[in-house]
Amino acid sequence: MNKLKVVLVGNPNVGKTALLNALTGRKEKTGNWPGVTVQKRTGMFNFRGVDIEVIDLPGVYTLSCESIEEKVARDFLISGDYDVVVNIVDGESLEKSFYLTLELLEMGINPIVAVNKIDAVQNLKSYVKNLSKILGLKVVPVSAITREGLEELSENILKQALEKEVSYFQIRYPEEIENAISLLELKLQSSKPFLKELPKRWIAVKLLENDKEIENLTVKSFGEEFKELLEKILSDLKNKLKSEPGEVIIKTRFETAKQLTKGVFEESLSSVSRIEDCVDKFLTHPLTGIPAFALIMFFVFKLTFLVGDWLGGLVDDFFSRVLPDIVKHLHLPGFVESLVNDGILAGIGAVLTFLPLLATLYFLMAFLEDTGYMARASALWDNFVRIFGLNGASVIPLILGFGCNVPAVFSTRTIKSEKKRLITMMIIPWISCSARLPVYVLFTSAFFKEHQTAIVISLYFLGIFFALLFSLVLSKVFPGDEEFFIELPRYRLPSLRLVLNQTYIEVREFFVKAGTVILAVSVVIWILASLPPGVPYASESSVLGSIGKKLVAIFSPMGIEDWKPVVALITGAIAKEVVVGTLGTLYGNEESLAQELKSTFTPESAIAFMIFTLLYIPCIATIASIKQETGGWKYPLILIGVELVVAWLVAVGIYNLLV
Amino acid sequence: MKLAEVKAGREVKVVEIYGGFGIRRKLASVGIFPGAKVKVVKNPPGPVIVETSGTRFAIGMGMARKIEVELE
Repeated sequence: MNKLKVVLVGNPNVGKTALLNALTGRKEKTGNWPGVTVQKRTGMFNFRGVDIEVIDLPGVYTLSCESIEEKVARDFLISGDYDVVVNIVDGESLEKSFYLTLELLEMGINPIVAVNKIDAVQNLKSYVKNLSKILGLKVVPVSAITREGLEELSENILKQALEKEVSYFQIRYPEEIENAISLLELKLQSSKPFLKELPKRWIAVKLLENDKEIENLTVKSFGEEFKELLEKILSDLKNKLKSEPGEVIIKTRFETAKQLTKGVFEESLSSVSRIEDCVDKFLTHPLTGIPAFALIMFFVFKLTFLVGDWLGGLVDDFFSRVLPDIVKHLHLPGFVESLVNDGILAGIGAVLTFLPLLATLYFLMAFLEDTGYMARASALWDNFVRIFGLNGASVIPLILGFGCNVPAVFSTRTIKSEKKRLITMMIIPWISCSARLPVYVLFTSAFFKEHQTAIVISLYFLGIFFALLFSLVLSKVFPGDEEFFIELPRYRLPSLRLVLNQTYIEVREFFVKAGTVILAVSVVIWILASLPPGVPYASESSVLGSIGKKLVAIFSPMGIEDWKPVVALITGAIAKEVVVGTLGTLYGNEESLAQELKSTFTPESAIAFMIFTLLYIPCIATIASIKQETGGWKYPLILIGVELVVAWLVAVGIYNLLV
Repeated sequence: MKLAEVKAGREVKVVEIYGGFGIRRKLASVGIFPGAKVKVVKNPPGPVIVETSGTRFAIGMGMARKIEVELE
């Protein structure tokens, strides 16, 4: 045995990710579960010569398949593609955690129970021994923060892999239910092999719990008669119990979980401190919560863009000035020099400029998440943004979008609902980021000196309007308006080591995944702008120039008859502020740009151009981020299509209203 | 009375939850089901916050209006 696969299962907020991090350190990778936007984290560590791969399942309360996360977790557990299951339970709220443990036992899975947060809870250790006897499972107290118990956990993983300890613990349901279970078990016995690895008792319980997926599978295998039988059993049972069998089962399971914690924590855990009550009230009451939120966001915003712009500026300077200067002194052939400077260095620069910004933001987000504030912020906003089909947790990403759409996309990771996360990501590009401001400034100062501020603000509101409208439409496309219900984790002082580690891993992922796309597109645009060899960059005779000329026809309904702004929009895909740079290059020097623009644009077509710049495709970095986060090209491509059409319609519509 | 109408600081017993099986199942698995006792930490405006077996949950107004409770 030199390789093992371990899977971590547990409720949200029990410290699963922290434990993964504590075990595997920087050898952690993130990705998506196949076909869904649910994040998958894996890691690797070596213990006594054995390579142990750790897979972190999405945090769930139950394995009932009501949400995508539950389905992902359950399907993986059913697949059997692992050697050992570690069930992480929260030392601070065991009853809730044990519900899932009992579900695992019913599924025939014998997990190692890792009781986390022993650093925070007294007298846990003596309890653990007792629990191990009652459940017949290995129980290990651990702390992801102080790293206590990690060694013992690893040892137990090896032991469990060598020799499975099988639990003898079973939940006793009320007699009527037990009878129905026995009856169903009997029926399931006489069958072709199906779901063969799973205990018949579990299948029977799930059928009584109204689990649609298991029901469909069983009916598929046993035919329609089985469905009739099941319906009869259920209605008989309902009459006897005088309530839904499924609810009685869940209640029994919860009561059993409660029994397991009896006599241990009743006093130490029943009352959370008064101070927490007050803080919760303060942070989630609209009158006090919104100012507090504004203040916190102000600092996050300020700090992110302060550090990001400063360090990012240095990086940008290095790649757009220092390195190109060195390259110039090498006296390379003109074509090669241009490839290196305008293509490769510009591309790498475009990627690296984002790094300080992202690192700061990731750090602050991980920090806030760890303190427990994020859940309160979601609770605060949910009622209001629900009107637009969003989730309380969508608010922070949208606000960050005003700075830069790229970190905003990544910050949607804190949205627990998969659908709401997707909707939020799709509408972020219409939040006008700071890179679009130079375009507005250029045009408003050339055409609307008097009403500059009013026009710029209107553009921001136009973006918000379309973002919310799009969100409404998307929430009809991806329905499933779940009632708002989230756990508010205990307030905690975040562990700096964990937060830094998290930041490092996420920055690395961005660099590897999104970075390659950004670099590739930058080089492609460079090639189009510099071919055939010898033409001035992006000039009329370049491939890009001729593409621009062909596309002018599309823009003439909004009053743009020149190819130069069209080319600027294409290069603007790299980053929207590039629109200004390209216009500067094409119309000659940047000082007299405003004068030049006046000869090409009318005030009406200037408005149309600004609107188009606001609404048309997101920059490549945003597209690449959305691709990384949704796990494929499907959603980014849909987004590009929708945005181009809407941008054109709105720009043309408003132009025609004005003239 | 409805959970949404309970003053902060009171302990209540859940009488009935009017909602689909999905949401009832979700609430039940964390210990909120007919017969269970919960402490109300915060009442509207904003979300209702309840505490049950040492864990806190924020519940939206829509849902809090569907949970029938009685004062302990």
